[in-house]
Amino acid sequence: MKDFKNFIKSGLSNFFGRACLLMFALIGLIGCTDFVEVGPPKNTLVSKTVFEDPATVESALANLYLAMREQGLVSGNFGLTTRMGIYTDELDYFGMDPELLEFHQNRVLPHNADILTWWGQAYQVIYGANAIIEGLEDSTSLVNTDKDRYMGQAFFARAYMHSILVSLFGDVPYITTTDYTQNNKVSRLPQEEVYDAIITDLLDAINLLETAEVENEERVVPDHYVAQALLARMYLYTDQWELAESVSTVLIDGFDLEDNLNRVFLKESMETIWQLKPGNSPVNTYEAGQMIINAVPGQTYGLSEGLLAAFENGDGRKVAWIDSISNAGNTVTLSFSHKYKAWITETQSLEYSIRFRLAEQYLIRAEARVQSGDANGAQQDLNAVRNRAGLPNTTAVGANAVLDAIVRERRIELFTEQGHRFFDLKRLGLANAALGDLKPNWDPSDILLPIPEAELERNPNLLPQNDGY
Amino acid sequence: MQHSISSVRRGILFMLLYVILMSFFSFHVQAGTVLEPPQITVSGTVTDTSGNPLAGVNLVVESKQIGTISDFDGSFSINAGPTDVLIFSMVGFKSVTVPIAGREEVIVQLEEDVTALGEVVLNAGYYTVSDRDRTGNIATIKADIIDKQPVGNPLAAMQGHLSGVNIVQSTGVPGGGFEIEVRGRNFINGVSDPLFIVDGVPFGSLSMGSTNVSGQIFSGNISPLNAINPNDIESIEVLKDADATAIYGSRGANGVVLITTKKGREGKTRFDAQFSSSLGRVSHFMDLLNTPQYLELRREGVINDGFGDALENPAYDSFWPDITLWDNNRYTDWQKELIGGTAYRNNAQLSISGGSARTQFLISGSHQRETTVFPGDANYKRTNIHSNVNHRSNNDRFRIDLSTQYAHENNLLPRTDFTLKAYTLAPNAPALYDEGGNLNWENNTWDNPLASLEEKFEVKTNTLMANAMVSYKVFENVEVRTSLGFTDYRLESYRTLPSSARNPRLNLTPQGYSNMSLNQSQRKSWIVEPQLNWNREWKDVSVDVLVGTTFQQETTQQLVLRGRGFPNNSLIENLAAAELVESLTDVDSDYKYNAVFGRVNFKYIDRYILNLTGRRDGSSRFGPDRQFGNFGAVGLAWVFSEASIFQDDSVLSFGKLRGSYGTTGSDNIGDYQFLDTYTITGDDYDGVSALRPTGIFNPLFGWEENKKLELGLELGFFKERLNLNASWYRNRSSNQLIGIPLAATTGFTELTGNFDAVVENSGVEVDVRSVNLVYGTFKWSTSLNLTVPKSKLVEFEDLENSTFSSRYIIGKPLTITNLYHSLGVDPETGQYQFEDFNGDGAITSSEDRKWVEDLAPNFYGGLGNTLALGNLTLDVFFQFKKQKAYNTLQFNTTPGYPENGSVELLDRWQEPGDIKSFQIASAGLIFGEDRGALQRRSNAAVSDASFVRLRNISLNYKIPNLDNGLEINVYLQGQNLWTLTDYRGPDPEQTSNTRLPPLRQLTLGVQVGF
Repeated sequence: MKDFKNFIKSGLSNFFGRACLLMFALIGLIGCTDFVEVGPPKNTLVSKTVFEDPATVESALANLYLAMREQGLVSGNFGLTTRMGIYTDELDYFGMDPELLEFHQNRVLPHNADILTWWGQAYQVIYGANAIIEGLEDSTSLVNTDKDRYMGQAFFARAYMHSILVSLFGDVPYITTTDYTQNNKVSRLPQEEVYDAIITDLLDAINLLETAEVENEERVVPDHYVAQALLARMYLYTDQWELAESVSTVLIDGFDLEDNLNRVFLKESMETIWQLKPGNSPVNTYEAGQMIINAVPGQTYGLSEGLLAAFENGDGRKVAWIDSISNAGNTVTLSFSHKYKAWITETQSLEYSIRFRLAEQYLIRAEARVQSGDANGAQQDLNAVRNRAGLPNTTAVGANAVLDAIVRERRIELFTEQGHRFFDLKRLGLANAALGDLKPNWDPSDILLPIPEAELERNPNLLPQNDGY
Repeated sequence: MQHSISSVRRGILFMLLYVILMSFFSFHVQAGTVLEPPQITVSGTVTDTSGNPLAGVNLVVESKQIGTISDFDGSFSINAGPTDVLIFSMVGFKSVTVPIAGREEVIVQLEEDVTALGEVVLNAGYYTVSDRDRTGNIATIKADIIDKQPVGNPLAAMQGHLSGVNIVQSTGVPGGGFEIEVRGRNFINGVSDPLFIVDGVPFGSLSMGSTNVSGQIFSGNISPLNAINPNDIESIEVLKDADATAIYGSRGANGVVLITTKKGREGKTRFDAQFSSSLGRVSHFMDLLNTPQYLELRREGVINDGFGDALENPAYDSFWPDITLWDNNRYTDWQKELIGGTAYRNNAQLSISGGSARTQFLISGSHQRETTVFPGDANYKRTNIHSNVNHRSNNDRFRIDLSTQYAHENNLLPRTDFTLKAYTLAPNAPALYDEGGNLNWENNTWDNPLASLEEKFEVKTNTLMANAMVSYKVFENVEVRTSLGFTDYRLESYRTLPSSARNPRLNLTPQGYSNMSLNQSQRKSWIVEPQLNWNREWKDVSVDVLVGTTFQQETTQQLVLRGRGFPNNSLIENLAAAELVESLTDVDSDYKYNAVFGRVNFKYIDRYILNLTGRRDGSSRFGPDRQFGNFGAVGLAWVFSEASIFQDDSVLSFGKLRGSYGTTGSDNIGDYQFLDTYTITGDDYDGVSALRPTGIFNPLFGWEENKKLELGLELGFFKERLNLNASWYRNRSSNQLIGIPLAATTGFTELTGNFDAVVENSGVEVDVRSVNLVYGTFKWSTSLNLTVPKSKLVEFEDLENSTFSSRYIIGKPLTITNLYHSLGVDPETGQYQFEDFNGDGAITSSEDRKWVEDLAPNFYGGLGNTLALGNLTLDVFFQFKKQKAYNTLQFNTTPGYPENGSVELLDRWQEPGDIKSFQIASAGLIFGEDRGALQRRSNAAVSDASFVRLRNISLNYKIPNLDNGLEINVYLQGQNLWTLTDYRGPDPEQTSNTRLPPLRQLTLGVQVGF
C-alpha cells in the first residue's frame, strides 16, 4: 500500500506532471470539434442550394427527362414499346431473355426484373418532380415566371409517370411528397382517384405553363401543349368525352399533320407535340436500335402476321413505316417497324423519340366525338389520319362501326409506339377477344401486370397482389 | 470553408510546436553523455547443447545496455567490467545469464527452449504485451508460418490459422479480393472488414475498383492488401475482444488486424535471396454433360415445350442454333479450354539487413509475376520495396524507427472471368478460331467467348506506406513518443470494349460502339498520434499508463471516365482519340477523425492484472450533433499458477483466467451520408447537365455500438509443452447503421440511419499448441484452432412491418436465407412440387419461402503439424469448416436449357410414374409450367458444403555444413492440394459459378543467405 502512495506522490510532483500538462495543453490547443468538421462534398450539391439558382433547377429537371429517355417505362430501349408490343399482338419475339419471354408468353412473374425497374424508376422520377415542387415552394431567390415554368414541368412529369403506372398496374399509390416516412408505407389508391389526381396535376401544369413562356423550339421539354396532350388522353381513358374533345381540339388547332409519311418521325416533324432528345450516344433513337432488323437470323422483334394483315390495301404507312428482310436462303422473311429509320451508328442526328404527336389527338377526338354521338365529326377526324396515309375516307357507318374503325386505325397509326395497342385493348374491354386465341397463355387477369414482389415485401401496405399473380 | 482553413492552421501550428518540442529533446540527447569506467575485453564462444557453434546470439552487458552478436562460428568479444554480468539470448533457446567474475574467456552453452509458449511478445497496437500478461484476446501468426505459404495476399496466409477469423477468397484470379470477418457479422448492413493497421498506420482495405471497369472480372473487388508482400511481414495480430479493441474506439467493432513488417537485426550485414516458382491449376472441374447428353436434353426440352415442329422450320433456327445449326458431333471440354490452363508464378526477393547495436536496417525488394489459367497472356506483376531503419541514441533515451513500403502492381486480365462460360457453353459450341486463325462467329450464331480477349482490362496500383515512430525518454520511466504515418494508394485501371470483340451481326462500328472506361482513384491519408507513456515498478505493483491523441485525415478521389467514338479500334487505348468523353463517377470526399485515448495497466505481484482502456472519438462521417462518442473497456487477468499451491513440478505449469467487457463502435459507412444531396450525373439532356437526387437528409446519424464480453482460460501443462487457450465471447451490436431498404415509392432504394436492432455474436474459441515429441534432433509439434460461432438477431423493432420482414427472423442469425421447401418431382406431372406454406394454392410469394437455412459455418478451424528432423522440416496444415452452401442447383434445375449443366440433369422425369430428382425437360420456351426457378430458390439448392482441406504443405531442407555462414534452404510448398468434401459444385469455399475458384498451387523455391 505504501508503494501505491509513492506512486501517486511521484506521479504528481515531478516533471512527469508538467509533461502531462504540456501534453493536454497541446491537445486542447488543437481542439477536437473543429478538426472533425469537413466542408461540403465537392462533387455534390446540398438540396437547398439547388433551388436558389435557375441553372441548377433546370439541371434537376433535365435529370427527369434524362431518366425517362434512358431507362424505365417510357424509354425507347427498355420501355413499353417493346415489352407491351410482344405482350400483345403487335410484335413477335425471337430472343431468349427470360424477362422478355415472360412478357411474350403473358406469364410475367411478380419478380420479373423489368417490372421492378419500371416501377422503381417511375417513382424515382416522381420523387425528383416532388423534390422540385417542394424546393421551389421554399425558394426565395427565383423569379415567379421561372418558378411557374419549372413547377409546371414538374407537375407534368409527376402526372405522366403516374398515368402509365395506373394503366399497367391498376390501383397504385399517388405520391405527392418527398417524405420517405410516408412514402415508405403508402397504400394503393383506387384507379379512379389516381386518374383524378393526374388530371388535377395536369390542370395545374397547364395553368403554370401557359403563363410562363417555355422556350421550346425543338419541342424537347414539356410545355402547356404537352400537358394538354396527356390531359386529352386521360379524359379519353376516363370516358370524359366532351372534355377530351375540347382539349384535343386545342392541339389540333395548334399543330398540323405532316403530309409526307416519311417525315412524320424526323426531328423536324411538325406534328410532334413532345419528343425526347437523344444524348451523345446514340444521337438518334433507341427505338430504331430495337426495331430495325439487320440480319436473319439475328432478329429480336418482328412485326406480327396479325398486324401486317390489318393494313388495308393501298395504305402508304405499310410502305413508309414498315420494311422487311430475308435470310440467306430466302426461306424466311420478317417485317419490322421502320418508323424510325436512323440506325444507332448513324452519326448525324436525324430523329428524336416522339412521345406525343398530333395523329393521336385526331384519333382521341374522333373517339370522343363518336362516343358523345357525333359520328360525322368522328369520321372527319378519322379521315384526316386515313387520307394522310393515302387511304380513302372511311366507309364505316353508325356509331359502333365508326368506333371499330377508330380502334383499327389506332392499331395501324400508333403501332410500336409506347404500348398504345395494349392500353386500347384494355380500356375498351377488347383484350380477351383479341388476344385470347392468339396468345395461348392469355388470361383475363393479364390485363394488369403484377406489382413487383420485392415492393410488396418492402411495403406490405401495397398488398394484395393483383389478381392472377 | 472557414472551418477547414482554421483546422489546417491549427494543424500547422501543432506541427511547428512538435518540431520545436522534438528539437528540445534532441538537444537533451547530446547533453546526456555518460562517462565509461575502465574496461577489459571478454571473448569466447557460444554453442548449443550438442556443441555446434551458434551464430547470431544476442549478447548484452546487463548494467550498461551495450551488446553485440556472436559470429558465424559462435565466437564473440565485448568490452565489459570485471564484475559485469553477460546475458545471452536467442530465439528458440533459453536465455542464460553469466557473471564475468574477472574472466577474459567465457564458454557458454545454450539450451534449446522446447516450450511452445516461450516468451511471446504481442503487438497490441499502441502498446506491446507479453502473452503471459495479456488481459485481452489477441491471435497472432508469425513470419515462420506466413513464409511457408506461397500466397500473394496477407489475408490468404491467415486463412484457417486464427481462431475467430473467417476468411474466404473471392476469386482464383490473381489480384482479387477476400472477405474477412472477425467473430462473425456484427452489422446488418455495411462493411464487416476489420480495421487494418500496417506498422501503426491505418490502411484502407476497401476496394477502389469501379464496377464500370472491373465489374466482370473481380466483381469490382480489388483488395488493396495485395500490395503487401507476405514475405515482408514479421507478424500479424488480430485483436478481438473489448480489452484489445476498445482503444480503437469507433473503429474497433469489427476487430483490428495489426500487420508488422520485418525489421533489421543487429549483427553483420546479411544478404538473403529467395527464388520460387509455382504452378497453379483449378483444383476441381465440374462433371458436365457431353454433346450427345446435352443435345438429347435440348431436343427433349424443345419438344416438351410444344415446339417440336418448329425444329424443322429454319425461321426459328436462331432459337436453337446448338441443335439445328451447329455440328451435332462436335465436343469441346470448355472447362479445359477456358479455365484449364496452368498459372505460373515466379517470385524473386532480395534483402540486405544488419546493423550495429544502435542502428539497424533492412532493405528488401521483390518481384513477382503470375499468369492465369485463362487463355491469352493475362498476367499479374508486383514489385515491392520495403525498408526499415531504427536508431537508438547512446543513452538509449531517443529512438527513431522508420519504415516504408512501396508496391507497384500491374494486372493485365481479360475483362470477363471465363468461368461462367466454361461451365455453361454448349459442349457442341463451334470452334473458337476459323481456319484463317480469326475468331469464329459461326455465321453469327454465337458469341465467341474468346472475343473478350480483345477487350483489355488492366489495373495498376501504386501503394506507398511510410511511418515513423519517434520517442524520447524524458525520465527513466516517462516516454514521449509520436507516431507519424502517411499512406497513398493509387489505382488506375481501364477496360476497352472494341467493336471487333462483338458479334459482326450487330454491325457495330468503332465510331458507334467502341469505348474505353478508365478509373483513376486515389486514397491518401495522414495520421499523427502523439503519446505519453509512464511506467513504474515497485516491489509488488507495477503500473503502466499511456495517453495519446490521434489526428487523421483521409481524402478519397475517384474519377471514372468513358470515352467513345473512336475512329478505329487501334486507337481505343488513347482517350484523346475519343470523340466524346463522359464522366461516370467523380468522387472527392474528405474524412477527418480525431480522438483522445488512454490505457492504464496495473499488475499486482505478477498475479493480478487490471487493464483499463478508453477512447473518445470524433468523426466527420456523422451528423452535426452526433460527431463524438466514448468507448472503453476493462480487462482483468488472474495468473493462478503463481499461487503457492502450484509447485514447480506440478503437471499444470501455467494457468490464467481472464475476462473483459467494453464497448467499441463502427463508423465504416462512407462519407457525407447524412446530407441530402444532388449529384452531377455526367449526362445531360438537351445540353443541360443533369443533377440527380442522391441522398435524404438525416441529422440523427450516429455511431454503431458493439458491446463485447469475453471470458478466457489459458492453461500450460508439462512445463508449458502443452498449451490450451479457451475463450468464450459474446458481442452485442446495437444502434445499427443500416441502409434501410426503402419501398421504391420513396424514390430511393435505401436510407442509411441508426436502427434499433441488436445482433448477437457469441462463440467459443479453442487454441491448442503442443510440443509432442522431442528426441535428439527430431521434434514434432502441433497446433489446433477451433471456433464454434453462434449468431442471432436479438431485437429488431417492428420487424414484421419493416422492409426486412422477409429476410430476417428474431432469434435466427443474419446469415439465414429463406427458401421454398421442395417436395421433389411429382411422379404424375413431372413438375417440381413445393410446400404451400400460406395455403393459397399457389407457390409465388415470399409467404411460401418459409424454409430457413443458415449459411454461416457451424464451426471452423485449422490443424497444423510440424515435424523437424535435423535439417529437414515438414509442415502440414489442414483447414476445416462445417457449413452449408448453395450447390449447383442454384444455377440450373431444368434439363434442356440452352446452356450446359451438371450430368445430374440426366436424371429427369420423362413419363408418368418416373421417380426422378429433376423435372421434365424444357427449353425454357414456355412459362408457368416451368418451376425450375422456384427449385433454384428452394432448400434443394442448399446442401452440405463442409470440407477438410489440405491448405498448405511445406517441406524445407536446410543444406548442412556450409562454410562462411552460408545458409541455403530448399523448399517445396503446396497450397490447396487436397479437399475432402461432399459438396456438389465448383468449390465449397467459393460457391459462385461466375468467379474462378481458388487454385491448387505447387511451389519450388530456394533461399540463400550469408
